[in-house]
Amino acid sequence: MSVKYIPVQWNPNKWKYNTIMLVSVFAYLWIFIELTPGIMANEGRINGQIHNARAFGSCAFFMLTVILCIGPLARLDNRFLPLLYNRRHFGVMTAFVALTHAGYILNWYFAFSSSSKYETLLFANTSFSQVAGFPFEIFGIFALLCLFALATTSHDFWLKFLTPRVWKRIHYLIYAAYISVVAHVSFGVLQDQQNHIFTITFMISALIVAVLHLMAALHERRHGDQMANLSDGWVEVCDISEMKEGFANIAMLANGERVAVYLQEGKLSAISNACAHQNGPLGEGKVIRCLVTCPWHGFQYNVTDGRSPAPFTEKVPTYNIRLEGDVVKVDPQANPPGTYVEPVPVKA
Amino acid sequence: MKENAPFFVGYLKIPAKLHGFLIKVSVIIFASFVAGAFLAGASQDDPGKAGFRFDFGRQKLKGVLEANPYPLLHVISGSDRIDAGQTIMLTAQGKSGIMTDTNALNGRVVEATGVIVRRGDLDMLQVLPGQRGIKPTNEASILPASEPLGRWRLQGEICDGKCLAGAMQPGRGLAHKACANLCLLGDIPPVFVSSKPVEGEEFLMVGGADGGMLPRELYHFVGQFVEIEANVERRGDLLVVLVEAENVKVIK
Ligand code: FES
Repeated sequence: MSVKYIPVQWNPNKWKYNTIMLVSVFAYLWIFIELTPGIMANEGRINGQIHNARAFGSCAFFMLTVILCIGPLARLDNRFLPLLYNRRHFGVMTAFVALTHAGYILNWYFAFSSSSKYETLLFANTSFSQVAGFPFEIFGIFALLCLFALATTSHDFWLKFLTPRVWKRIHYLIYAAYISVVAHVSFGVLQDQQNHIFTITFMISALIVAVLHLMAALHERRHGDQMANLSDGWVEVCDISEMKEGFANIAMLANGERVAVYLQEGKLSAISNACAHQNGPLGEGKVIRCLVTCPWHGFQYNVTDGRSPAPFTEKVPTYNIRLEGDVVKVDPQANPPGTYVEPVPVKA
Repeated sequence: MKENAPFFVGYLKIPAKLHGFLIKVSVIIFASFVAGAFLAGASQDDPGKAGFRFDFGRQKLKGVLEANPYPLLHVISGSDRIDAGQTIMLTAQGKSGIMTDTNALNGRVVEATGVIVRRGDLDMLQVLPGQRGIKPTNEASILPASEPLGRWRLQGEICDGKCLAGAMQPGRGLAHKACANLCLLGDIPPVFVSSKPVEGEEFLMVGGADGGMLPRELYHFVGQFVEIEANVERRGDLLVVLVEAENVKVIK
């Protein structure tokens, strides 16, 4: 949550995160580029440029695989949430590793001719109507463009400028990029492979991504929020005995929106479940120092009016709330973001 | 959110209960990258022994130039690496065939200067630019007659001869197709790698059935495992296969 935009708001956890990821990536590149040529018992030497291109290309693929595993892992077990926190920095790193791969390819395979390498990239192979020999470079170009679209819009400025809803839609491009990379590798380097170790590693990686997403979807289905019951125009959220101080219960409304009902200092308040930052689930957060704290990146809100504390300006909608006997009910009609609603005390 | 579950907030200290878990996850991520690098890096296929032979030094050869389907030299006086009587394909630097108007030089004695690119018994001479690379002489010559070897059915791959000879390592296959096409567009001689030797040869220069260059429509087959039915001729000690587009098919 920022008052003004600075390139990156650093904190010790981001430093730790980036260090671990960078060290892993550097280890990968160093081992691939420097160590493996000595291990291979090959008669011939692979060109340095091709070797490097493969190192950066495969590294970008594995990085993308890790990025895509974080989301479902965090949904399955929220101890993985710290990996989600700074995922976008890892995404930006991936875009640059992928760009380096593209640079090696462009300056090697597509250079040294009488035409510009950007043109030769597009016209050298035009066998679009066949599977074997398909110009798989096109998939790589598409993935790279996606990665850069995501990297350049990754900053919170764009999030606010485009609105979280549009921003999130754009950032689903990561799936298109991944599928495109899988096609790029499958129609490219895998076609010639005699030694299948990389093929197997590649397939297992892509399979892990697919299985984790499936597991997360199943988990959501089983444990996801139920559609709340409507009685006399109000929505039943839960029994008061199910509420715990400092935490929320979530109800899903008929229009698909979710409401987070918090119990704070013995009083009930209801706000939208969607965080103003990236739609993180506020109802899965916690009250810290009197403020509801989002589990994804820690944006905070006052539960009575849905406003972030000054100097921050984020606002989420609030909901009118009432207690009927022991049943907590909310008005499905949301109040405009930032509207104060008097909290409802729970009788002891 | 369970009441006593650790709750991570990015800008606050990491909850003590999460320390162990996050250390484990960090180690797993690091170890996966290390393992991935070894697996992907050390399992790359052997491109075979081939490449530019700068170690042989600059070669100065004299011979009769034959322009079609692609320029080659019937060596009259060789070097310590290339014997007289050998036939060697010619190419220029980068992804270009020799730029000189070779048709005008067809059948003439020239001096060719350059570096050898070699894979096994496939040789190509990459000549220097312009007259420094190909210099016509006034010596009288006769172009050796080509010897027809009949019609053959061959299986193998159409490659660009220069990358195949080792200008790129690896320099063939489908992942290399765009590069190979680009070389062929630059008039570098294509070479067919036959899965079974033809008259003892694994590598054959490829041309069109009209005796000219490889037809453009055959570029789609470059890098694939194909079967071709075509006439084969011997030019000096080099075999040339002259293909019609309709007699090439992909083998699944
Ligand atoms: S989604 Fe980022 S803080 Fe809530």
